[in-house]
Amino acid sequence: MKRVLLACLLAAQVSFAYADAPWQLLQNAADAARNLSYRGIFVYQSGKNSRSVQLTHMNYGQGEYARSIVLDGSPREVLSQGSDLVIYSPRNEKVVITKRRAQNLFPALLPANMEEIKESYQARLGGEERVGGREGQIIFLDSRDQYRYGYKFWTDKQYGLILKSMTFNEKNEPIEQITFTQLTLLDTHNMDWFQPTVDPAKRYVMEEEETVASVDTSDLNIDPIPAGFHKIDQVQRMVPGKPVPVTHLIFSDGLASVSLFIERLNKMHPPQLGHRMVGSTNFYIQATDGYQVVAVGEVPAATVTQMAHAVKFKKQ
Amino acid sequence: MKEQISALMDDELSPDGLEYLFTAVKSDNELGDCWATYHLIGDLMRGSPMGQPGFKERLMQKLEAEPAVLAPRNIRRERKPMLWSVAASAAAVFFVGWVVLQQQVPGDNATPALAVAQNSPNIPSEYLYAHQAVAPSSSSYFIQPAAYSESGK
Repeated sequence: MKRVLLACLLAAQVSFAYADAPWQLLQNAADAARNLSYRGIFVYQSGKNSRSVQLTHMNYGQGEYARSIVLDGSPREVLSQGSDLVIYSPRNEKVVITKRRAQNLFPALLPANMEEIKESYQARLGGEERVGGREGQIIFLDSRDQYRYGYKFWTDKQYGLILKSMTFNEKNEPIEQITFTQLTLLDTHNMDWFQPTVDPAKRYVMEEEETVASVDTSDLNIDPIPAGFHKIDQVQRMVPGKPVPVTHLIFSDGLASVSLFIERLNKMHPPQLGHRMVGSTNFYIQATDGYQVVAVGEVPAATVTQMAHAVKFKKQ
Repeated sequence: MKEQISALMDDELSPDGLEYLFTAVKSDNELGDCWATYHLIGDLMRGSPMGQPGFKERLMQKLEAEPAVLAPRNIRRERKPMLWSVAASAAAVFFVGWVVLQQQVPGDNATPALAVAQNSPNIPSEYLYAHQAVAPSSSSYFIQPAAYSESGK
């Protein structure tokens, strides 16, 4: 009897560990992408768009430094230090410099804290497959509902890094793929690579910094929103072509993001209401109480639709 | 070679081997001039008005006598060029991507994709860019919108 009980306990433990294993591998992948020093070339594909990118990432305990060079077409470069990111985009005779907050840059697609996404996604182990000359372990990250896309990752069995990532829409069709075609770990402290290629024939201009102000949204009631999404920021920003600032709320489930833009309805130029889609991005525009609400995100149509309709104004 | 050109113009050459002659005429300036001169001579011999005395003067007089066309200029509506080109190119980039993705699905064809894209021509790209400024997707890092180079901004 004792033995049976023991066996049951062991089996339970094993199955528990088994359920945890894919999450542990994803956590390893998130840590490896930030903590290791590596150089490689990956290919980004979305429909007909395809770009090879050379990535160098270094972290010797002094923080993260990374440089991505787009190898196909226009020689765009992205340099990042910690979470500060600078993009150099050649446009005709100029090079425009844009500052951004770093986020979700391959292979650091996953959040540092896996707890953020466990509510919305479930992880399961797949088979093994070689990618870019490395042995990979397949892990699926499936959405728990119809409100977000699913992912399939190949993680390096030795280093833990994500070697390949595929995104699937709600119909389980692939919509995006990023794959390392070559990857090596770096064993050097040399930082000479951390500088953009400067073209002396071109003029370098900073893109105008957006004026973003905090905004009071106490008159807004946004409910119900799809489970797992949390508001991560709320600002007032100028949107190109709009004379007055627009209230911009940002929601995230840890991987996918949705923006809500709320502004007074322009009666002279009423918006085209309803749903639109480009690539993996869905839009939903609706009008309520004299306001226009635009929901945008790399999420299924159901998500932007529900979020746009969730916006209500409290009666004063 | 010049004899051959002359023979060709008089329709005295068989079509075989003409390709070589054409290539030679195209690539050799002197043979090209020769071709033009022979045709001019031919035109003059056939009594083309070009060869008659005072041709140029008469042509200019006729041009002078042509009534001037007074048509309103093509008035264009004032547009915001940057926004429009951004919108157009974003739409183009995404549209192409979307169509191809649709085509990748086995058993599917591009027709429904086309239909959907045409039904939603007004992509609010200004909101897309504002969204990507805070929540960048991989494509916003690696795919540069074509408008950036078109608008020259």
